[in-house]
Amino acid sequence: MTGPPRNAFTRRDMLRATLLGAGTLALPSCSAVGAGLLDTGPSAGSLAYWNLFGGGDGVRMTQMEDGYRRANPGVDLQAVTLAWGNPYYTKLALATVGDKPPDVAVSHLTRMKTLAAGNLLQELRPEDLERHGMTADRFNRRAWDAGLIDGRIYAIPIDTHPFVLFYNTKICDEAGLLDAKGKLRPIRGQDAFVDALTRLKKVTGQYGATHGINSDTATPWRLFQTLYAQLGGEVLADDGTRIVIDDAKARQVLDFLRQLTVEKGLMPGSIDYQGAIALFASGAAGFHLNGEWEISTFQTAQTPFSMTLVPNVFGGDYAVQADSHTLVLPVRPDQDDRARLDLSLGFVRSMLDQSLTWAEGGHVPAWQPFATSGRYEKLTPQSDYAAAADAAVYDPPAWYSGSGSNFEIVMGSAVGAVESGGMSAEAAIAQIRSKLSELANTAPPV
Amino acid sequence: MATTIEPPTIRTPPPARRTTGTRREARPLGHGRPALLMLAPFLVLYVLFIVGPAVYGVVMSFFDTSMVSTGLGTFAGFDNYGEALTSGDFWAAMWHTLWFTILTTPPLIVLALVFALLAERARRARWFFRLAFFLPYILPSAVVALIWIWMYTPALGLLTRTMTALGFAEPNWLGDPDWAMVSLAVTTVWWTLGFNFVLYLAGLQDIPRDLYEASAIDGAGPWQQIRMITLPLLSRTTSLVVVLQIIASMKVFDQMYIMTQGGPNFATRSLLEYVFDVGFTDFRSGYAAAASTLFFVAVLAVSTGWVVMTRRQEPEL
Amino acid sequence: MATLTYETRALSTAEARRYAASADRRTRLFNRCCTGVLIAFAILWLVPLAWALDTALKPNAETTNPTWLIHNPTLESFRALLAEGDVLNWYAASFITSAVVAAGTVVTASMAAYALSRLRFRFRWLAFWAILIGIMIPSQVLIVPRFRELGSVNLLNTYWAVILPQIPIAIAVFVFKQFFDGIPKDLDEAARIDGAGFFRAYAQVVMPLARPAVSAVAIFSFVWTWNDLLWPLLALSNPKIMTIPVGLATVQGTYGIRYADTMASAILGALPLVLVFLLFQRRIVEGIAGTGLKG
Repeated sequence: MTGPPRNAFTRRDMLRATLLGAGTLALPSCSAVGAGLLDTGPSAGSLAYWNLFGGGDGVRMTQMEDGYRRANPGVDLQAVTLAWGNPYYTKLALATVGDKPPDVAVSHLTRMKTLAAGNLLQELRPEDLERHGMTADRFNRRAWDAGLIDGRIYAIPIDTHPFVLFYNTKICDEAGLLDAKGKLRPIRGQDAFVDALTRLKKVTGQYGATHGINSDTATPWRLFQTLYAQLGGEVLADDGTRIVIDDAKARQVLDFLRQLTVEKGLMPGSIDYQGAIALFASGAAGFHLNGEWEISTFQTAQTPFSMTLVPNVFGGDYAVQADSHTLVLPVRPDQDDRARLDLSLGFVRSMLDQSLTWAEGGHVPAWQPFATSGRYEKLTPQSDYAAAADAAVYDPPAWYSGSGSNFEIVMGSAVGAVESGGMSAEAAIAQIRSKLSELANTAPPV
Repeated sequence: MATTIEPPTIRTPPPARRTTGTRREARPLGHGRPALLMLAPFLVLYVLFIVGPAVYGVVMSFFDTSMVSTGLGTFAGFDNYGEALTSGDFWAAMWHTLWFTILTTPPLIVLALVFALLAERARRARWFFRLAFFLPYILPSAVVALIWIWMYTPALGLLTRTMTALGFAEPNWLGDPDWAMVSLAVTTVWWTLGFNFVLYLAGLQDIPRDLYEASAIDGAGPWQQIRMITLPLLSRTTSLVVVLQIIASMKVFDQMYIMTQGGPNFATRSLLEYVFDVGFTDFRSGYAAAASTLFFVAVLAVSTGWVVMTRRQEPEL
Repeated sequence: MATLTYETRALSTAEARRYAASADRRTRLFNRCCTGVLIAFAILWLVPLAWALDTALKPNAETTNPTWLIHNPTLESFRALLAEGDVLNWYAASFITSAVVAAGTVVTASMAAYALSRLRFRFRWLAFWAILIGIMIPSQVLIVPRFRELGSVNLLNTYWAVILPQIPIAIAVFVFKQFFDGIPKDLDEAARIDGAGFFRAYAQVVMPLARPAVSAVAIFSFVWTWNDLLWPLLALSNPKIMTIPVGLATVQGTYGIRYADTMASAILGALPLVLVFLLFQRRIVEGIAGTGLKG
């Protein structure tokens, strides 16, 4: 039944609505609204660039973008930062398929392979790269080679970002783990590692080391991969169609980790990414295992710390999990336009030239002219773990693999479950096998 | 616009079958053209953005469509459906969705009803209750998620601190596979209870006062009044609330996506989150379409069940 | 409606008066208890938002050991977000898209509902069921096809990409239809007999009487569009035109342990709708109540 007009939108409501609306519209820039109404597409002198760097990395990338703008006043650089993780790659893929990709985009090296397999990236020809001074010998060998697909170039690596060990210099000093120069004495072997953690725990009264576990599948995977690769183990082969996990080696790593968390209580078995950082920053632990990118967090928190390579716990050839950030040029309708190609490559070169700023963020530069210069060596603690770039183990190539992918989720959740005590090592390996075989048996969508 | 005056009760016999479609508007019974014109704006957008894509999605489900390639890809027949129906992950996601529905539906109905009953008795403070309970409902999921992630943060979150202050061990709200869904359910109850609360309040106000007065004279206490008068008369509202709630719970996505990304260890991956993962992370649009079609069938079954049940109760519907 | 029968017995006047007095006291005590309990729950319900605000007003450093007490209250987080972020652009994007969708939905859905309610035409039942089914389709499956559609006409990454797919809201049609069914047909029949076309009958006779439905649909479509996350997340890449939920989701992980900043962004994200709610509270509530019950 209709109600009497007291329910109706009165004039007062319309007034309120209009005021609210006018107020909201007065705030932003007209260009934003204009951009929203019409998609005008890129103009000749503009360059669209997507990245996924937030936090400290984001600040540094913004500095580098500004550096580019200062050096190239005629170019309108439109830089967009999108959330890290799957949505970034989904959007990049969708945009490329929809013929509206950015000119240059950041991609993890491990994800770049899938994008290339999906025919989403432009092949970069050595002649074009040479015009901008980017030749293969000027990049870190390992990062460069890892990015090649059948010998063809699809990405320019700008760094390697390995898994590293942060250590609290004060606490380590008290625990007697530092050498005469105040740096951490190299730790070799399982027993030495356990011993170091035990000593640290005694000093802090809480934990020896921390790393993210809850709601964080990347970190447990990275730790596992580092230790497992030190034993020489591999997980996938043949582009992810075969699972080659060595049960014995995996068992060894998982049991070791479980020992550290559940049995000896040297590391918390249940803590999320930010919590692990907070514990280390506040001195509740002496070590912190994470990617090097958190260097700015601890600098801001003014924790007395330094960084070094993750110890060679299992004693074989040194290996450490890492990925690299690369710059890629998505396929676009006007890619035969040489001017646009040069514009994009010029931007890439500019990023490489500003490697100092980027390296301050903890990344190991891939650009050798800078990496071998004295300036990088003077950057400590960043240069202390530069060797990681040469021992980097990348995630095995597969369409379902790469940073933040399902592969990492499957591996990381199983490892995390073992560390939190929720799953036994056998059950974890069985779960890994079953989930990975489902993925391995699925036809690749690219 | 042509105007036709037709006395509503006179029926003209339908013309012979030989008339073709274009002559349809000439028939006295049909309001074909004006109807089409009035329906057009809605239908055009509806077909373009809902029906069309949905049909295209069903078509995609029979192919191995990839998100990153144009076109439909290779024909796969019923393979995608077969894979979904035999996939452990698919059924796990279904189960997670069901579990989520079980965790959220009773509190969202019972608590809303109880609060509405209590609020019914408080005349002056009712605006305050409406504000407190309904305000969360209009918040975007992103805001709700941010606030509750902070509340669930290990060691620092408000809920964690409250638990430890009361002497309990701190449950790993979002990191423990057994707790994570419960935590998401608590967040959801806080978020959406207000809607049911308002529905029930309105339903309560529709119940005539005389019934209560008559029963009071007979010596009925408040409990009896609620059992004998209120609840039966609210049955129509309740059945509506229940079915809306169940369908909304089946479609849950935002909370999982933002707060746990389906974790820990996939324990909170609802069916739509599963569809998103396989479709957008794995780029397998065809398979994702098959999974969502199966999901749609499930939702359709629930809605049909409800329609059938309410039709039986109220034959005049 | 269930039928209930009561038997009444006669009370003497004194009995009745005594009974009324004690019942009255009992009821009042019961009412007070109810109110008290509910106030406790209501306060509990307000805690999360209050806590978020409390955190947002602290400096970031203080949030690593949080209590309800704010030692150094500051608006720094808000200031930083408003000055450096795109929050204001997000407000505009959300407002523009939601308002246009609300207007569009009211117009198109009411017209369609009028056709379904008043007009008789061949495939009426088909249109009815086709629209009904739309309520149940999950939006995830529509994304890739919509993406390809909008991409081909160059509308991606604009407000239109968010606006157009959200105007056809199936439920709105049924809300209006339900309402129109309740308006006596004689009213617009009379107008039609006087020579008005269907559209005039709709616009000038039926719609003015449908204000409760209009306000309900307008408000719902506004709020639903405002809060939609997934489609805008994938369709919009330019931070200057992102809607609030998308903007918040995009910056979500980047604050790290700067919890005050995170909460400030949540509060800023909630603010516009809270204002809308406070201004239009009665309409919203009456909207749900009026249309929900009948549906």
